[in-house]
Parts: sequence; C-alpha cells; structure tokens
Amino acid sequence: MKEPAKNGQVIVITSGKGGVGKTTTVTNVSMGLAKLGCKVVAMDLDIGLKKLDLIMGLENRVIYDIVQVIEGECTLKQALVKDRRFPNLFMLPAAQTRNKDDITEDQIKKLCAELKKDFDFILIDCPAGIEQGFRNAIAAADGAVVVTNPEISAVRDADRIIGMLESAQFKDIKLVVNRIRPEMVRDGDMLSIDDLLNHLCIDLIGIVPEDDGVVISTNTGEPIILNQRSLAGRAFQNIARRFTKEEVPFLNLNRNDSFWDRIKNAFFSKQVG
Amino acid sequence: MLDFARKKGSATSRSKANDRLHTVLAHDRIGTSSGVMEQMKKEVIQVIRKHIDVDEPEVNLTSRGRQSVLDINIPLKGR
Repeated sequence: MKEPAKNGQVIVITSGKGGVGKTTTVTNVSMGLAKLGCKVVAMDLDIGLKKLDLIMGLENRVIYDIVQVIEGECTLKQALVKDRRFPNLFMLPAAQTRNKDDITEDQIKKLCAELKKDFDFILIDCPAGIEQGFRNAIAAADGAVVVTNPEISAVRDADRIIGMLESAQFKDIKLVVNRIRPEMVRDGDMLSIDDLLNHLCIDLIGIVPEDDGVVISTNTGEPIILNQRSLAGRAFQNIARRFTKEEVPFLNLNRNDSFWDRIKNAFFSKQVG
Repeated sequence: MLDFARKKGSATSRSKANDRLHTVLAHDRIGTSSGVMEQMKKEVIQVIRKHIDVDEPEVNLTSRGRQSVLDINIPLKGR
C-alpha cells in the first residue's frame, strides 16, 4: 500500500560567507534526523560548486543531478541518491558543469512541493553569497538556519543574510555557531555565544565546538555524527533533535572545565551543544 | 559574560571584536559608512548652534536589537 502523503518542512541552511560549515551542517543534521527516524532529503543547490555528495560520502553513487530533473532528462526519483547507512536518507546532487542561473525560483518551489509529499524534512545546502543562488535556495523554504563562526567577518555576513531573510518574510530563523573554542572564549580571545546572540538577535539552535574529527570525517566521507565519541557529532545530533521540537539543553561554556568535566562531557551528550 | 574581559582590562581581542562589530553592523543595517556619520555630526552642530550655544555633541550610531539607532547627546551650556 502507498504511504500517506506527508507535509514535510523545507529548511535552508545558509550563511553568506563561505567555509563556515553549511555543507557539514546539512550533512550531519540530515543524518541526525534520519537517525531519529525521519525521512529526509539533503538537497545541494550550490550549482557549479557542488560539495554535498563528497561530504556525505556519496559521490560514487551520483548518476543524475537536480538540473537534469528540472529539465526533464530524468525523474526526481531517479536523481535521488539513497544513503547506504540510513534507508530513509536521500541526497539530491547539484550539477557541477552548470551555473546558478540555469534554474529559477519557481522551478525550486515546484520541486520542493513534490518532495514535501514524500519527506519529513528537506534540507537545502545554500551557496555562499547573496546572488541568484541564494534567492533560489530560500525560495521554497519554510524556515532558515544561519551558520556562522565566532569570527567578525562571518558574523557580519550572517547579519546581512538575516536582514535579507527578514525582508523575504522569514519568521523562523535559527542560528548555528560552528567551530567555537571555549578555551579561547574564556581567555578573551574569541567571541562568545552570548556576544554573537547580542549582535545577531536571533534564536540559537546549535553550538558546535571545534573538532579535529571533522577534518578526518571529511577525508573519509563518514560524517562526524557517526562517531559516537565526537563532541561535534553529538552537537549535530542535538541540533537534529531540536529540529524535531525536542528540548535539548545547550553546552554551558562558562563553567570551569576541569579534567573531569571534560571526561564527563565526552560521555554525556546532554551537556553538549 | 563580560566579567572575564574586564578582569583582563578592556584590551582583549574579544572585546575589540565586539566593539568593531557593533559599529559595523549598525552601519551595514542602514547602508551608511562612518564617513557619512562624521559629516552629519558637523551639520547637526551647525544647525543647533544657529539657535543655542552648545558644546560638542556626541553622535553615535548604535544598535537596539536588530534596529539601528542614532544616538545624539547634546550637552547644553549653562550660564
């Protein structure tokens, strides 16, 4: 029997500045949602500069891409790449040899309307910048997540993006702070979570600490969320749980981090952002 | 939150980053530059001095939430 039609949420992951961790966030949160039993599609809209297939470790399974779907060269179902680790996780690849102007906002809206019937969550990996690629990526989104780093140029770009999302009537805009280093914040050498929230004035949905494991997981194509011992992996899982409206407490960066606190931290995910 | 920064004096790179961001975001949000502010400050003084004797006013662009606010503080000279 056919599954009843769903009414999925489309969430765009954006940032303005490049290199802050959008694709890493899309990858890990999508996988985290799939782990929680949701049916998820991660969509790469960085046409011309695709990365999501690599970060998810699915580059060898890509046959068709999103532009071919839009141009009718293949069906949506044919283009969706199934994850081998989670049967309810799919990836829609970007086209590498095309560019952002090859698709329109209306085409993305139509595509997302189709996907919403079959999926609980559609996560869009937005290209850096504020041009057509950005406008395509936000066109069909019900909510937006802005990823930033505790670094002034990333915060400035995040602020600009938040302003643009507000102008586009977005009501649900959430912040992910990626690559924070609590010890540098304590030493007065890095912007804190509170500093970022004071400047940007939006709700926080995730705090991801700097973690060398992310570099390793990118190398191997095994997303960090699959590593149970990684703090960043747990932080991403917590973001996924918050996506499903579960209340999960954030990491408290102000406490004194003794050796034992760090040990405890590594074992109890509740304390991790 | 700021306790630690204060302990080390106001010269931490974190507090400097906060100050710079505060100013730059206030300008970005309304699309001006700090040069425009300096010009406006001069003009504001001229207008007011036409009518009353005042000291140098403080003109600052600052933020209240995501709203940029123009903060003009003009000390009046007493007799």
